[in-house]
Amino acid sequence: MAVPRPTGRSRPTLLLLIAAALTLLTLQFRGFAPLDSFQQGMRDLLDPVRSVSETAARPLRSAWLGVFDYDDLRDRTERLEKELARMRGRQLSSEADRELLLRLMGEVGIDYTTLDTVVVRILGTPPGNFSSHTIEVDKGLDDGLSEGMAVVTGAGLVGRLEVVDRSRSIVRLATHPAFRVGVRLVGSQDEGLARGGGATGYLVIDAGIRPDVEVAVGEVVVTSGGRSRFPADIPVGRVVDPDQGADLDREIIVEPAASLEHLSFLNVVLDPRLADAGPLERG
Amino acid sequence: MTGRLKIVAVLLTAMTVQVTVFEEIRIDGVSVELLLLVSILAGFHGGPERGAVVAFCAGLLHDSITATPMGLHALVYAPLAVATSHLEVRLARSTRPFLAVGLAVAMAVGVCATMLAGGLFGLHDVDVARLARTALVASLMSVAVAVPTSRAVCWAVTGGLPVDVDVRGSGVESRG
Repeated sequence: MAVPRPTGRSRPTLLLLIAAALTLLTLQFRGFAPLDSFQQGMRDLLDPVRSVSETAARPLRSAWLGVFDYDDLRDRTERLEKELARMRGRQLSSEADRELLLRLMGEVGIDYTTLDTVVVRILGTPPGNFSSHTIEVDKGLDDGLSEGMAVVTGAGLVGRLEVVDRSRSIVRLATHPAFRVGVRLVGSQDEGLARGGGATGYLVIDAGIRPDVEVAVGEVVVTSGGRSRFPADIPVGRVVDPDQGADLDREIIVEPAASLEHLSFLNVVLDPRLADAGPLERG
Repeated sequence: MTGRLKIVAVLLTAMTVQVTVFEEIRIDGVSVELLLLVSILAGFHGGPERGAVVAFCAGLLHDSITATPMGLHALVYAPLAVATSHLEVRLARSTRPFLAVGLAVAMAVGVCATMLAGGLFGLHDVDVARLARTALVASLMSVAVAVPTSRAVCWAVTGGLPVDVDVRGSGVESRG
């Protein structure tokens, strides 16, 4: 136990440290590159240690899951077996389904399946206790990824790359409250801006859509493209509440098309503008 | 090893342990907040001034590994270390269970303050139920590892000696 002590000099020190913290925060929000580089450097430095730790912990984690989550694992296996059987049964009709899908997508001008992507594996939640609506994946700068790229599954938009380190990245999910994406309603062709709905698990289109536009429940919402780094026509979700009676502040609720439940892999859509640029220009 | 090197060693070790061992040990998705624990203990053992500086550095390291804006954790950890230091004067003759409860409360306050600060800067939405659960689990888990951490922090910030003995009552701190 330390001896009780006076606190004469602590107040100026504390004020100085708070001022320093606020200055750093301001610089970071203004995009001061050296701070980003410092943080990225620290994470890259720790990356090999983290990888070793994850590898070492894998058998223990498996044993833990086997002992405490056995029922869940068994249910999951049963569900996958049923899914496999159903898929085998559908194999013959899959070609016809594919043709139908392509025809439907062609009708609304969607060429989402032709985008260049990189497959990434989900590692889990990023370090820390406050990383809600974010996930960590196993590829980064070395694999040609960069911040802002769209992350998708076969079903549609999942989110975008928020932090990209040398060999890992953090994905901000579409439901994150700070997530913004330009969207287009396939029926009316109206364009607006959607934001993540946070804990609700939905997206909210709260800008750009005229109050008098007829929006049907179940209408498909896709990315609008344009100046956004997201390519156009990636499925975002379906309208669950068109907020038809709203006067000015219309909020259309959209259920995301892609579900992350039980997923292990995602696709990162490579930015065609970066692909056109040389490696030096990618920075 | 000089005092500063000891502090750097403890902080880097804590950061490494946080992103490796404690990332694997999660209860209900919540892990130990080791760098917050180090900050509180630095205030407890090292006094307000040294505690604040150590906590500030711990906060910056935490910001680096969690990819949060630089300064966010530091903004919370430094005042918390100073507050803990002031309380330590009043808890000098307290029993160990009482100190454990005090530490758990300080941890919970730190977790809540960090989450609220993050919400203030728009990093995430503040869900009260989730916040309460996270604060409770993180503080209990952190208290469970407090004894070895406390020894390490005490070694780093005091060198095993009492510090900050004011012989003249002038408010000037002397170091052991």
